[in-house]
Amino acid sequence: MRGLEEVHEDLDFWGFLHLGHHGVVPTPIGDVNVKTLVMTWVIMILAALFTVAATRAMKVNKPGKLQLMVEEMFLFIRGLVYDNIDYRKGAGMVCLLFTLFLFLLFSNLWGLIPTMMSPTADINTTLGMALMVFLLVQVIGLKYKGLSYFKHFLEPVPFFLPLTIIEELSKPITLAFRIYGNIYAGEVLIAVLLGLFSLTVTLMGGFLASVIWLAFSIFVGFIQAFIFTMLTIAYISQQTAEHH
Amino acid sequence: MEAVISALGLNATLVAQIFNFIVLLIFLRVVVYKPIVNVLEQRQKAIADNVTAAENERKEAEALRQSYLAEMQKSKEEAQAIIQQATKAGEAQAQQILEAAKAESARIKDSALAEIEREKEKAVAELREQVVTLSILVANKVVSKKITDDVQHDMVREFIKEAGDLPC
Repeated sequence: MRGLEEVHEDLDFWGFLHLGHHGVVPTPIGDVNVKTLVMTWVIMILAALFTVAATRAMKVNKPGKLQLMVEEMFLFIRGLVYDNIDYRKGAGMVCLLFTLFLFLLFSNLWGLIPTMMSPTADINTTLGMALMVFLLVQVIGLKYKGLSYFKHFLEPVPFFLPLTIIEELSKPITLAFRIYGNIYAGEVLIAVLLGLFSLTVTLMGGFLASVIWLAFSIFVGFIQAFIFTMLTIAYISQQTAEHH
Repeated sequence: MEAVISALGLNATLVAQIFNFIVLLIFLRVVVYKPIVNVLEQRQKAIADNVTAAENERKEAEALRQSYLAEMQKSKEEAQAIIQQATKAGEAQAQQILEAAKAESARIKDSALAEIEREKEKAVAELREQVVTLSILVANKVVSKKITDDVQHDMVREFIKEAGDLPC
C-alpha cells in the first residue's frame, strides 16, 4: 500500500508537479495552479468542439445523435430556467446557465480519465464560479429591484441584519464547497484505491472497486453539475420574483 | 483571512478560471447558442404547422365525408323512387294486360254467342223450310186430291205458324 503523495507522483504523467513549486507557478497576475488551468483549457476546447460539432449542419426533421444530445441538454436547462424565472427575465440567462452546466459537467467527468484532473477538484475553480454567480445574483437583484433590493437584508426585522448578511455570504461558499468536496473526494478515492491494492490484488479483482467508484463518480459528476446549476437558477429566481 | 486563503490554497487561479469561463460563455453565445435556438424554433414552428395542417386536413376529410354521405343518401332515395316508379308501372301494365284480356275474352264470347245465335237462326230457318216441304208432302199424301192447292197452302201456313211458336 502506497501513500497518496506517492500515487499522485506516479500519476503525474504530464509533469505538472515539477513546474514551479508543486505545480504552482508565479505569473504577472499572481500564483496559478498550472494543472488546473491546462485542464480547464482542454475542457474549454472539448466543450467548444462538442457543441460546435453538434450544431454544425443541424437538421430540423432528422437530428443526429450529437445534435439531439446537445438539444436535450439545452432544453433541460431552458426548461429549468423557464420553470423558475419569469420568461422575459430568464431568456437572457439561458445561455449562461447552459454554459455553466456544460462546463461543470465536462470538468467533473474529465477527472475520471487517468492522469487527468477535474478543474472542479480545485477550490479556486469552484469558488470562482460561485463568486461569479454571487455577483451575478447581486447585480440582477439590483437591476430588477433597484435600491429596495437592500431592504431584504433588514427583513423581517433590522435586528437580523448580521444573520441575513451571513445567509447571503453562505450561498457562494456552500455552492463552491459542495461541488469541490464531492469532486475532490472522488479524485482522492480514485487515487487511494489505486494505491491500496498491489498489482496482483488488482488483477485478482481489486480493479472492481475502482470500476464501481468510477461509475458512481460519473453519476456524482452529473448530479453536482445539476445541483450547482439548479441552485444558481434558484438564487436568480429569488431576485427576479415579484413580491406583491 | 490570509491563513484561510493559504489553507485553502486560493490564488490567482480563481480569477483565471472566471476569465476562462467568461471566454467559454462568449464563445458558446456567439457560435453555438444561435443555431440551437434557431433549430428549436424551426422545429417548434414545423410542429405547429404540422398540427395546423393536420387539423385542416381533418376538417376537409370531415366535409368530404359529409358530402359523400349526403350523396349516398340522395342516391338511395333516387333508387327507391325508381323502384317505386317501376313497381307502379308494372302494376299498371299488369292491370292493363288483364283488362285487355278481359275485353278480348268478352269480345270472343260475344262473337261466339252471336255466331251461335246466327247458326241457330239459320238452323231454325232451314228447319222451317224443311218442315214446310215435309208438311206439304205429308199433306199431299194425307189429303191427296181432297183439297185444293189454295186450301192446302193455307193450312200448311197455319201449321207452320204453330210449329214456329214451339220451342225448338
